[in-house]
Amino acid sequence: MSNDDDALRDRIGRLMANGLVTKTEPFPENNIEFEKVLDELRDVAPDSLEEKLIISGFVDKPYGEDEQRCLECMYYLVHRKWCDLPELAVPVEAEWWCRLWRI
Amino acid sequence: MANILWLQGGACSGNTMSFLNAEEPSACDLVTDFGMNILWQPSLGVELGDDVKNILKNCISGETKLDIFVFEGSVVNAPNGSGEWNRFCGRPMKEWVRELCDAADFVVALGDCATWGGIPATAPNPSESEGLQFLKRANGGFLGADFKGKAGLPVINIPGCPAHPDWVTQILVAIATGRAGDLALDEFQRPKTFFQSFTQTGCTRNMHFAYKVSTTEFGQRKGCLFYDLGCRGPMTHSPCNRILWNRVSSKTRAGMPCLGCTEPEFPFFDLAPGTVFKTQTVMGVPKDLPTGVDKKGYIKLTGAAKAAMPAWAEQDIFVV
Repeated sequence: MSNDDDALRDRIGRLMANGLVTKTEPFPENNIEFEKVLDELRDVAPDSLEEKLIISGFVDKPYGEDEQRCLECMYYLVHRKWCDLPELAVPVEAEWWCRLWRI
Repeated sequence: MANILWLQGGACSGNTMSFLNAEEPSACDLVTDFGMNILWQPSLGVELGDDVKNILKNCISGETKLDIFVFEGSVVNAPNGSGEWNRFCGRPMKEWVRELCDAADFVVALGDCATWGGIPATAPNPSESEGLQFLKRANGGFLGADFKGKAGLPVINIPGCPAHPDWVTQILVAIATGRAGDLALDEFQRPKTFFQSFTQTGCTRNMHFAYKVSTTEFGQRKGCLFYDLGCRGPMTHSPCNRILWNRVSSKTRAGMPCLGCTEPEFPFFDLAPGTVFKTQTVMGVPKDLPTGVDKKGYIKLTGAAKAAMPAWAEQDIFVV
């Protein structure tokens, strides 16, 4: 885990704590809908962090009645505290969530 | 001496190509060491025209004993059940197939198309293709569910797209050497010795499967191909990671998802856009879970696996 990752994770955390409104719904019902969200992300400029977070529906706490969170998501790398989905590729916390959650 | 006749219906010759890659025994070894007499085979036979027709007629009449009839490719029934789209030696292939199956001691369906209809039988199935004794998952097919070769066994199905050469040669050797009685078949008439275990059995990515680390792009050596790239290894019965291809590799070892080509439904989802190389999901959970695993158990297992994940599982552990 690098210092840069830590700094970026803190920044993302602050954005959400300060009330960044993101698109948590609709949750992609199937992989076709999932792909549509990915397509949107691919159009985002690499340095547009906020836009990425908005499209993917980031929140800084578990989400939904099942309390879904990054920790169980298959893209989450536990030790690096990293989202390994190529279209996101950002440092995250285990208790966060986004609508690209998959197991 | 066992006489073998091999014909192709709605086929791409892929199983013949695979068979010709056989080693230990090779196609030649089958003849020189195992007493097989290949009466005719599309890529090996030297006869043409009427000479081929005579070989077939002699098998049907019983003048030549037909020990093993191998059929590769689908049985083509189009148009309108006539079979005229696939003519061979002056008549629809399906008519030869019917008579040769009745004459043979053993019938072997080789490859997906011959076993279940395969790609030609994908909806809307314009060639009206079917397998010898199955159409996809439904028992029956061209010969009907009650068909048995003269030796008493139903069609022996060796699926795959293509079938591994060892699967073919070992079954042929077993039959030719009088050990057909040792062949145990599963519900889809596949030899259990090959099709009881899963493609995942022996997969080098099993550790990543266990710790729920996904391969997210082709070519990545880390991760499991099941989670994102549509790998069907945990649900597919084949020995692809036990009996390696070219003795060295397999699809999953090379970073290519298993397509489930030994299962009756192949190609899955009728090749609809967005279904190939993509894990199908419902609300974030794979639609097809590993065989025998239910959704609740899968979710619990995921939580536990992630919590226990060692650091190395996140890294590329293969050093060149």
